Parts: sequence; C-alpha cells; structure tokens
Amino acid sequence: MKLKNTKSLLGMLLLFVALMLAACSGGDDDNASTDANDSDGGDDVSSDEDSTGGILVFARGGDSTSLDPSRTTEGETFKVTKNIYESIVTFEEGGTEIVPKLAHDWEISEDSLTYTFFLEEGVTFHDGTDFNADAVVKNFERWAAGDADTFPYYNSMFGGFEGDEGHVIESVKAEDDYTVVFKLKRPQAPFLKNLAMDMFSIASPTAIEKYGDDDFERNPVGTGPFKFVEWKPNDSITIERYDDYWVDGLPKMDKVVFRSIPDNSARLNALLAGEVDLADGINPSDAAAIQDNADLQLIERPSMNVGYLGLTVTREPFDNKLVRQAMNHAIDKQSIIDTFFAGYATPAVNPMPPSIEGYNDEIEGYEYDPEKAKELLEEAGYGDGFEMELWAMPVPRPYMPDGQKVAELMQKDLADVGITAEIVSHEWATYLDLASKGEADAFLLGWTGDNGDPDNFLYVLLDEDNIGSNNYTYYKNDKMHDLFIEAQTVTDQSKRNELYKEAQVIINEEAPWVPLAHSTPLLGAVEGLSGLVPHPTGSDLLSNVEVDRE
Amino acid sequence: MANPARNIDELETTDPKQTRGPWREAWYEFKKNKIAVVGFCIVLFFILLAIFAPWIAKEGINAQETADRLLPPSAEYWLGTDDFGRDILSRIIYGARISLWVGFSAVIGSVIVGSILGIIAGYYGRWVDTIISRFFDIMLAFPSILLAIAIVAVLGPSLQNALIAIAIINVPNFGRLIRSKVLSIKEDEYITAAKGIGMRDIRILFSHILPNSMAPVIVQGTLAIATAILEAAALGFLGLGAQPPSPEWGKMLADSKDYLQSAPWTMIFPGLAIMLTVLGFNLMGDGLRDAMDPKMKS
Repeated sequence: MKLKNTKSLLGMLLLFVALMLAACSGGDDDNASTDANDSDGGDDVSSDEDSTGGILVFARGGDSTSLDPSRTTEGETFKVTKNIYESIVTFEEGGTEIVPKLAHDWEISEDSLTYTFFLEEGVTFHDGTDFNADAVVKNFERWAAGDADTFPYYNSMFGGFEGDEGHVIESVKAEDDYTVVFKLKRPQAPFLKNLAMDMFSIASPTAIEKYGDDDFERNPVGTGPFKFVEWKPNDSITIERYDDYWVDGLPKMDKVVFRSIPDNSARLNALLAGEVDLADGINPSDAAAIQDNADLQLIERPSMNVGYLGLTVTREPFDNKLVRQAMNHAIDKQSIIDTFFAGYATPAVNPMPPSIEGYNDEIEGYEYDPEKAKELLEEAGYGDGFEMELWAMPVPRPYMPDGQKVAELMQKDLADVGITAEIVSHEWATYLDLASKGEADAFLLGWTGDNGDPDNFLYVLLDEDNIGSNNYTYYKNDKMHDLFIEAQTVTDQSKRNELYKEAQVIINEEAPWVPLAHSTPLLGAVEGLSGLVPHPTGSDLLSNVEVDRE
Repeated sequence: MANPARNIDELETTDPKQTRGPWREAWYEFKKNKIAVVGFCIVLFFILLAIFAPWIAKEGINAQETADRLLPPSAEYWLGTDDFGRDILSRIIYGARISLWVGFSAVIGSVIVGSILGIIAGYYGRWVDTIISRFFDIMLAFPSILLAIAIVAVLGPSLQNALIAIAIINVPNFGRLIRSKVLSIKEDEYITAAKGIGMRDIRILFSHILPNSMAPVIVQGTLAIATAILEAAALGFLGLGAQPPSPEWGKMLADSKDYLQSAPWTMIFPGLAIMLTVLGFNLMGDGLRDAMDPKMKS
C-alpha cells in the first residue's frame, strides 16, 4: 500500500508539473496549432481567390435578431442588413452627413413640408424585380400601417403610425416611375437623417408579399451589394456577391460570413488564430497586443456613443437633486477610463458626444471632488451616507467594455464619500427590462447614436415621452420637453443647436445621469484587409473591403 | 466513545493494537500514511492563513491603486497585482477565509440535515424510507452544479446563498451514506439488546446508531469540503457566489480571464490556491478513509 501511495504521489506531482508547464507555454502551443490552421485556411481561400475576391469572415459579439431591419432596434442586425439593403439616402463614409444612395438627388420645398426624391434607374432587387418609386411607396405604407410591436423604431422616428396624432408623414406618392414625393404634416428637422437610418432601408415588395412579414425576416431581399445565402442561428450568417449590383465593380469580396462569438477573449483568439479576418468588440486592454502583432491591424471606430450611470429619479435618495449632483462629484471618470477603457475614451460631460452638432462645450461638468460630494450629501440630509444598489450590465457593450469592473471602481469611489453600494447584475434582457421599469437605484447603461442627430440622444434618452422605453431614469422636465419638441419642428440648424444647448444646461444642473465616457470602439483585422471605413453608427458597409492574402 | 462492535472483533483477533481506542488507532494509522499527512499539512497551512489573515496580509485588500495595476510578481507585490492594482497575495490570504468558511459550513450543514434524514429513513424503513430515498434519488438525478445554479438563481446571487445551495446539493450524498450504514448497524446485537432492555428509539438513534455511523461520514465530509470549495469557486466564477469586491478565489479567476495572455499571474495564483486546497482535502480524505475503514486495513 505504501508503494502504491508513493507512486500515486509521484504521478500527481508529474501531472501538476505538466499542467504548470502547459499553462505557461499555452500561448506558444496555441500559436503552433494556429499556424497550421492558418496555412490550411490560407490555401483554401487563395485557391478561391485566383478566380474571385475571396471570403471575408467577420466575427462579432452576437447573432442578429432579425434580417428585416425595420423590425428591430438592435445593432447586430444592422451590421448584416447594411450590406443587403439600401436606403433612399445614406450617411457619408465614416460620418453622418447625408449623401445620395437610391435617390441620386432630391428637392425640399420652401416650407419644408414636401420632399421630392429622384431615384436611380436600373437598380434591381436580388429577386430580379425592379426597384422603383412604387417599391418605396409600398415599404412606407407597410411601416405606417404597422404597430410598435412590429416596427419598434418607426414610431419614435416619425412620431407614430398612420392615424396617430403625431405621425409626421402625411403621404408618400409615386409621381412617376422614378420620382417619390413625401408630404409632411409639419416640418421635421432630422427627416433626411431618419430616412438614412438602416431600419428604413427599402426591401423588395414582391418578396415581402411572397414570404409574409414573419418569414421575410429570414429571407431578406434588398438592392444591396450582397445577397442573402444562409442563416445558422447563433452561429453564422452568410451573404454573397450580388452580380447585378447597380454600382460597377462592387462589391469586391465574393462572400461575407458573419460569425457570432460572444466572448471577447474567444473572438480575439479566433482573430489571432487566423480563423476570422475581422473582429469587432475588441477589449481595450487587448489593443496593445493587436498593435504589436505584425499580422494584425487595429481599427478605431469614430466615437458616437455615451456610457453613463443612470440615477432613477423616482427612487430615494435620487429624487433629491443634491444627491444626484453629489454622485457626479464622487465618481472619478478619468480613473475609470484609464483603467478599463485603456485610454480609448474621453470623459463625458453631456449626454451626447462632442462630435454631434449642438453639443454645448460651455458646460464644464462636475469635476472629481469627494469633499464637495460630502458637502452636498450633508446639505441634502445624507451626511452619514446611505445604502444603494449599483446595477452593472453583465455583457460587454461598445460604450462599456466591462460594466462589472467599472462598477467595482465606482463602489470604492462611493465608499470614499460614505455611500455603500451593492453591485447587482441580472441577465442582460432582464437587466434592461427591470431597469426600464424603474426598479434600479442606479444603473450602468449607454447608447450608440443611430443618425448623428442630438434628438437621437437627448430626446430619446431623457424626454418624458420615452419614460418606460429609453428614458430609464424616469427624469421628467416640462421646460426641457418643450425645447425638444420645438427643436424637432424648427428646421434652421443654428436655432436647433441653441435649443439643444439650452436643454443640456438643464440636464447638467438636474443631473439625472453621471455621464461617464465616450468610448472609441475597437476592431481588429488581418493586416491585408483594406477598404473598411468604420462607421460611427456601428454598422459597416463592406462593399469596398478587400483582403490581400499573400 | 465506545465501539462495542469493533471491540468484539478485536478481542477475537488478539491484535496488539487492542489496547488503543478506535480514534487513537485511526490517528496512528493516519500518521503512517505520508501522503495523507502532506494533505493534512496543506489544509492546516490554509487554515492558519485564514485565521491569521489580518496579521499576514497587507492592510486594505480592497484599496485600489490603479497606478499599480497588473504588475508582475515583485518584491513589493509577491504575487503581483490585479487589474484594480490590488495585491493578489493579500487577496488570496483573505480568500482562504471565504473558501474554508464555505467549505466547512456547507458540509456541516449538509451533514446535519443528511444525517437526520438518513437515520430516519434507515431506522424506520418502509414508507418513510421510500419517500426520503426517492427524494434523494430525484436530487441526485440533477447534475449538482446545475442544481446549485438553479437554487442560487431563485435565492439571488450572494456568498451566503451559494453556501446554502452547496449545502443543499450535498444532502443526498450524506443521507444515503448514513442510511446504508444504519441499515447494517440496526441488525447488530447491541441494538437488539438496547431494544430488549426497553431503550427508547431516540436514545438508540443518537447514542448508539449515530456515533457508530460517523466514520464514513467524516471521510466523506473531508472529501466533500474539497468539492464544496470547488463548487463555491465555480459559482463565484459564474458571478453567482461572492459579490465584488470580496476576494473569493473563483471570482478572482473570473475577473482575470481577460488578462490570461497579458497578465497570467492574475489567474495562475488564485487557480493554484484553489487547486492546492482541494488537493489537500482530497489527500487527507483518502488518508482518513484508509485509517478509519476497517475493510481497508492491511
């Protein structure tokens, strides 16, 4: 028995040493097996490449919820549909200025109530039918006849559905085959920007009729550079080159495969292993590793987002303005950015990023000052501090790479001023649901702009109209509401900017949020990839992308 | 504690060990087993760490020195720092408190509940036995970690709830063990004798049957502490156990997984701490089994 034990001890020690070694040399092992994979993959692709443009594999954090962009507000969908469908007008490359797309030109009447679009001729849908004014009309009729369940973004952008008091669009008519006229009930300043949003891309009316609403979202048919091939839920979506695409020479790739890899580290590993060519949602802490790797390049997406700590103003003690201001003074944004954004962010002052027109740069915001925070708490009657729940999202988001860790830093900042914060987390869907019901004391959240308009941040996130949907703080201010509604109808841009600047002063004073950071989302790609201009909205057109594999 | 059954056996075998009591004898056997002693020393080491944590570890294990984040092991930080700039060594020392506390109390909890249910099932038999045993079977049909996750999901994530969940999932193991032991003991002569002189059930159960069923429970309990520590770490890793900023080892692993490539020490040391403690309890448990189980004696 003694002998047996000695043997087993030896065996265990050996195993232990082997494990240690394996752990230490893990990186090398990975690389070794990777190289093998890489050369295999490379061979496959290059044999394809001789005749064509090859396959692009794009790894991202989640699957799409639908392939009919009008039926969702969720970003992973638009990453794919941006390449299948096109809208009447679109955003410029890498920015939010409006440029022509399916309409090559347009006219706006003096009173800003009539928009006439002149459409491109010779454009066809992937099912072979012609794109024309009739198709545009049918798409808008379909959305206007819907409800908030089927088309959740249409009503927030166009004020409601057909028959609703606030519905902005009076009529959409085809004047001839290639001219469409929109008549509005009242001027809407961001109307063109709204039309350019991915959710209002034009789909083939024939295909919608053929499949019906529910099947159409799994059989998308648009006019874009790529057509749909296959969707394996939670695994991949494949699209391929549309040979009759109306712009000559595009797209450059033959096929694009969107793979879902939820874990950030696993996605990075897939990129390192050469299994994918392009990956988004790179952890800021991994940026240096990509830059140091000669086979990879780091791509920065222009920032158009905000990460914030929302304070639910209907809950004690955040119903007290002084407490909310104290929270703003208590949290050290710079330390959060240095630690968990690896510097790829700027501290936020206002609820929208400085790149957006109408940003009020005269507001200085709340500097990090624990003493001041304590004074304000004293004044508010919470000199001994209080206990609160601090909600942190369980998933990495573009505006917040690691909510849990950020919350842990805040927990310590808050402890310094006497506030005891308990970090709470729920599964992501539950988290959003409970927070939207106002059940969180304070919660981490963020927003990526969809059209580059201040309305898309300030009104959507903080107006009383959006309490219960995107206004999670339940903050309500009549004066601010009037400013927002006025800004929506005024079409003079400088006047609008003044209104939004005024609203930002109110928000700063009332402090329903602790604005944290405007982050720079990061993408990683193989060195040979070119032609990608990352768009601030987070969905990228891939028609110009090429991959050069030596 | 007298053990009539064994004394009778030993009288028959005229073994020189007969002069020692069964517990001393077990200790003697245990000491002869070098590997078990190694395990015992590891366990003792971590227990001492846990007890004297405030004197050994640096002050302010939750103090965040973000300027010093992710530093490799050095003279100042023996095991390096984590992503908040906290000293990993100090956190591991305090983590020993959490893990051992969870391990011991979860197992004690399940031993108490399991023993009561097991004794009742084994002693009374018939329909009581059927109900309790089927209940154990149902619980054992679930993969234990899945059951623990479900329990924590209902109770809400916290260290205390993780402890309760681990205690609950271990109940059937102890219950079945005691039940089978009771089934064999209750046929022994001394129980029949006790019944014959009119001793009440409660007294028979607690002063004869329970003490005589304890040996396998101690062995199983030691091994179960190892499992409980692992399960607590797993729940912590999934964010269902200890909540930040507590330095629970599983949580430390989860917090560091993004730095596996850039700062491996943030994962290796908490991982090693888990591995060593579990190894210690397992070696010790094996040694105890050899020492306490008469069938294993050579």
